[in-house]
Amino acid sequence: MSGFDAIVIGAGNGGLTAAATLAKGGAKTLLLERHNVPGGCATSFCRGRFEFEVALHQLSGMGDASFPGPLRSVLHGLDVLDRVEFVSMKNLYRLTIPGRLDITLPADRNGTVEALTKRFPAEGKRIKEFYDLVYEFFNQLISVIYMRDPEASSEKYPLYFKYAMASSQDLLDEYFNDPLLKASVAAYWGYMGLPPRYLSFSDLAALIFAYIEFKPYHIRNGSQALSNALIEKFTENGGEVRFNCGAQKIELENGAVSAVVTERGERIPTGCVVANISTPVLYNELIGVEESPKEKYEEMSGRTIGPSSFTLYIGMDCTPAELGIEETTNFIGAHDDFNHAFSQLRDIDEPAMILVSCFNVSDPGASPEGTCQIAVVDLQYLEPWLSIPPSRYAEEKYRYAAKVLDLVERVFPGFRSHIEEIEISTPITHVRYLGHPGGAFYGFDQHIKDSRLINPPVQPISGLFHAGAWAAGGGFQPTLASGASTGRAALKHLGMRGR
Amino acid sequence: MSRRNIADQLEGVERIREETRICRKYGIDYTVEKGRTMRLVNLLHPQALRLKVGTVIRETKSAATLRMAPVDGYLPPFQAGQYINLFVEIDGVRTSRPYSISSAPHQTGFYDITVRRVENGFVSDYLLDGVGPGDEFESSGPSGNFHYNPLFHEKHMVCLAGGSGVTPFMSMIREVTDRGLDREITLLYGNRREDDIIFHSEMKDRASRFGNFVYRPVISEPSKTCSELTGFINADLIRSVLNDLGSKTFYICGPSQMYEFCIPELEKLGIPKNKVRREMFGQPQDITAEPGWPREVEASTEFKVSVRGGKTLRARAGESLLAALERAGVVVPSLCRCGECSMCRIKLVSGKVFQPRGVLLRQSDREFGYIHSCAAYPLSDLKIML
Ligand SMILES: Cc1cc2nc3c(=O)[nH]c(=O)nc-3n(C[C@H](O)[C@H](O)[C@H](O)COP(=O)(O)OP(=O)(O)OC[C@H]3O[C@@H](n4cnc5c(N)ncnc54)[C@H](O)[C@@H]3O)c2cc1C
Ligand SMILES: Cc1cc2nc3c(=O)[nH]c(=O)nc-3n(C[C@H](O)[C@H](O)[C@H](O)COP(=O)(O)OP(=O)(O)OC[C@H]3O[C@@H](n4cnc5c(N)ncnc54)[C@H](O)[C@@H]3O)c2cc1C
Ligand code: FES
Repeated sequence: MSGFDAIVIGAGNGGLTAAATLAKGGAKTLLLERHNVPGGCATSFCRGRFEFEVALHQLSGMGDASFPGPLRSVLHGLDVLDRVEFVSMKNLYRLTIPGRLDITLPADRNGTVEALTKRFPAEGKRIKEFYDLVYEFFNQLISVIYMRDPEASSEKYPLYFKYAMASSQDLLDEYFNDPLLKASVAAYWGYMGLPPRYLSFSDLAALIFAYIEFKPYHIRNGSQALSNALIEKFTENGGEVRFNCGAQKIELENGAVSAVVTERGERIPTGCVVANISTPVLYNELIGVEESPKEKYEEMSGRTIGPSSFTLYIGMDCTPAELGIEETTNFIGAHDDFNHAFSQLRDIDEPAMILVSCFNVSDPGASPEGTCQIAVVDLQYLEPWLSIPPSRYAEEKYRYAAKVLDLVERVFPGFRSHIEEIEISTPITHVRYLGHPGGAFYGFDQHIKDSRLINPPVQPISGLFHAGAWAAGGGFQPTLASGASTGRAALKHLGMRGR
Repeated sequence: MSRRNIADQLEGVERIREETRICRKYGIDYTVEKGRTMRLVNLLHPQALRLKVGTVIRETKSAATLRMAPVDGYLPPFQAGQYINLFVEIDGVRTSRPYSISSAPHQTGFYDITVRRVENGFVSDYLLDGVGPGDEFESSGPSGNFHYNPLFHEKHMVCLAGGSGVTPFMSMIREVTDRGLDREITLLYGNRREDDIIFHSEMKDRASRFGNFVYRPVISEPSKTCSELTGFINADLIRSVLNDLGSKTFYICGPSQMYEFCIPELEKLGIPKNKVRREMFGQPQDITAEPGWPREVEASTEFKVSVRGGKTLRARAGESLLAALERAGVVVPSLCRCGECSMCRIKLVSGKVFQPRGVLLRQSDREFGYIHSCAAYPLSDLKIML
């Protein structure tokens, strides 16, 4: 069996952009994917007249051609922009806490400040100051971290040095009084899977900044379109992809990568592997506990596995307007205590905070005319699901789904009577399809202590690279970007500069 | 300033680093994670099952039930109405066919599948004539969406069955009656002759014992002495059996002609779309009779199919690409074999195929040239990528 310059394991976002980068750079690359479609989370499936998007709700960091965001630049660099169509959204989100709060924030800095001030007039001054802080802080972060200003200092970038290790809660408490105002500002915590108390201010600021500056986007025909486009480019550039072909083992020789063995038992020599799989599986199963560097287990030991989700994929027999849905992105909170809501991610009794996305609002082609496609996401850790006996799994799914639908009904009455198709996924579903412990599609929890701002990545095995949520944090933008940068690092390791 | 120096000077960083030290001190030993979660997930969704035939129960002249127990002692749960894809090897060809489980979900010791002979059928003939106790098979785990869903289905289900299409309903009826569930089932079961009816005596018996199950066989070519309903399951017949059409969900399972006939009948009755569920269409018996088939191509026409980096084989226009690949010994995973689940997805690099109605292809798959090989028929020489 002749070898490859590089083998990429897993065709999730990170694996796809890594593979595309390697092939474009001239490396002879093999991409192994266990599943029969590319994308990992970034995929879709069909039921009846509907095609359901699995994971993408709001793409961050895109921007448009005249004001490109960092993600657009990554995709431009991989020559896929002309094969995929992106649809922008005009608003960030609507947040409803039934009976107490109903607010919609536009994807526009002044608009957001105005909307918040209108609802919380007493705190108008502080609202403006908070968004000024977010912007100034994040611009300083860009200079220090992305532009790598060699003269960075706490005098030059005081906000960065002061707040980089602060929690979002610290800042919310410093600036605001009304808990509903705090909730309105921090609704995006769900996209990181950590409540304001644990979520670093850097991460919250990054979310707010990226979605306001570059607008939230959706992909026409869903994230599968991007995954397919990346595969297409990869194979055009000479890459080889094998579906239904998982990697079972990474072999080492003198501490360096020497081959990959597939689940079919084939041994393929290579000096370079990019893994797009979870850290525990990478070291426990593919490298093997004995061969793995102790410092990797030391590093992992202080970390916890992040949440997965309980998701309802719903095809409705009516238009969004008939349901009173006016926004693509709707957060619904059962209450305003997000820190408590986070504890509720570990139980399957009452949903605390859900995301209801209706893609047709910004992309009428998201389902056949006269219908609409809706995804309802409730973050959940795996544990409570593992304690359900298999024989009760289906019933528990329906029981909890009914509670989630009850919460949806409080904002969109009559919702249930229009359901034409529904599919339920649980954390167990995500384990099954991704192979990650915990079904954790964001990877490890991203506590402040785990911030990459203070923890440079350790990569002790020569020729081994790691891309995706477990290496760089979850979400489309981070994983797509991490694959591209990992691919470049791998090219450098191979002595290829890339084109 | 280096990155490390920058990090060291962040306000509060010492406290944060202390948290890391403490977390590691009382940390998690991830080596014990090895394989743990997957073992638990496999209890619900095993990659494959090994099943062994215990008994064969003759149901009618043309149908039999294979009662199959797990070789390793464990069967995953399923929802009444789901199917398994059963793999067989016949004359050196490995292929598979989906069969609904006809036993009830609470019967955890075995799965029943009930097979009815299909004229010239490759696998049904083999299962009915060549299989006996002790034979072992591999199958997929239970799969499919043709089952009761309390989130939006009505508690009263009206089942329209034809021929072997009664099997998923048998499972549901057994579950609802045995477990005393708070649901109602009305079954209208169409067959050509009285002696084609599968499960007839069990159905009659359950209908007489349980108030929430109504059984009405419908015979299209009745004998002189036939005392059942006769004709086809049409709007008038449905109305005559049901007092009231509201608050009911309709389920259809049978040969493809049955969907073509029954769905418009339900529309005539004003049943809304989201109150009608149908099991998948099997592949058409004669693909060349499908609407849209190019007249000039005959079923027997052969084309050359080359698999990138693999074999070149010959395939007939009238046979699905999946079947041709299986015949040539090329392994392609499959599950529904009806064009709906995407398991057999492959890329069409060049050439033309016919894809019948009912194939559920992702929009972007269509644009990038992917096809479902179980529901794609060659119309020219092809190049494909697995
Ligand atoms: C319901 C849901 C909603 C989400 N919403 C958003 C959102 O709105 N915005 C956003 O930015 N992000 C969102 N995310 C998160 C985002 O989708 C993920 O963080 C991201 O896609 C993860 O990409 P990844 O590169 O880590 O790879 P993954 O998607 O985790 O893919 C890993 C791949 O590796 C394969 N694999 C595993 N083991 C092997 C092996 N041994 N051999 C070969 N292949 C293997 C798997 O089959 C899989 O294809 C959401 C996710 C979900 C599930
Ligand atoms: C979800 C699902 C559940 C099912 N459940 C059951 C069940 O419970 N019980 C049951 O009996 N069946 C069931 N079926 C049908 C079953 O899967 C098989 O299709 C059936 O047994 C026939 O298989 P076969 O190999 O005998 O026939 P095949 O050989 O596949 O032939 C089927 C028909 O197609 C024709 N045909 C075959 N090959 C060609 C060709 N190359 N060109 C033209 N025509 C051809 C044959 O003449 C025959 O009429 C189910 C199907 C689905 C999709
Ligand atoms: S096997 Fe399901 S689509 Fe082909």
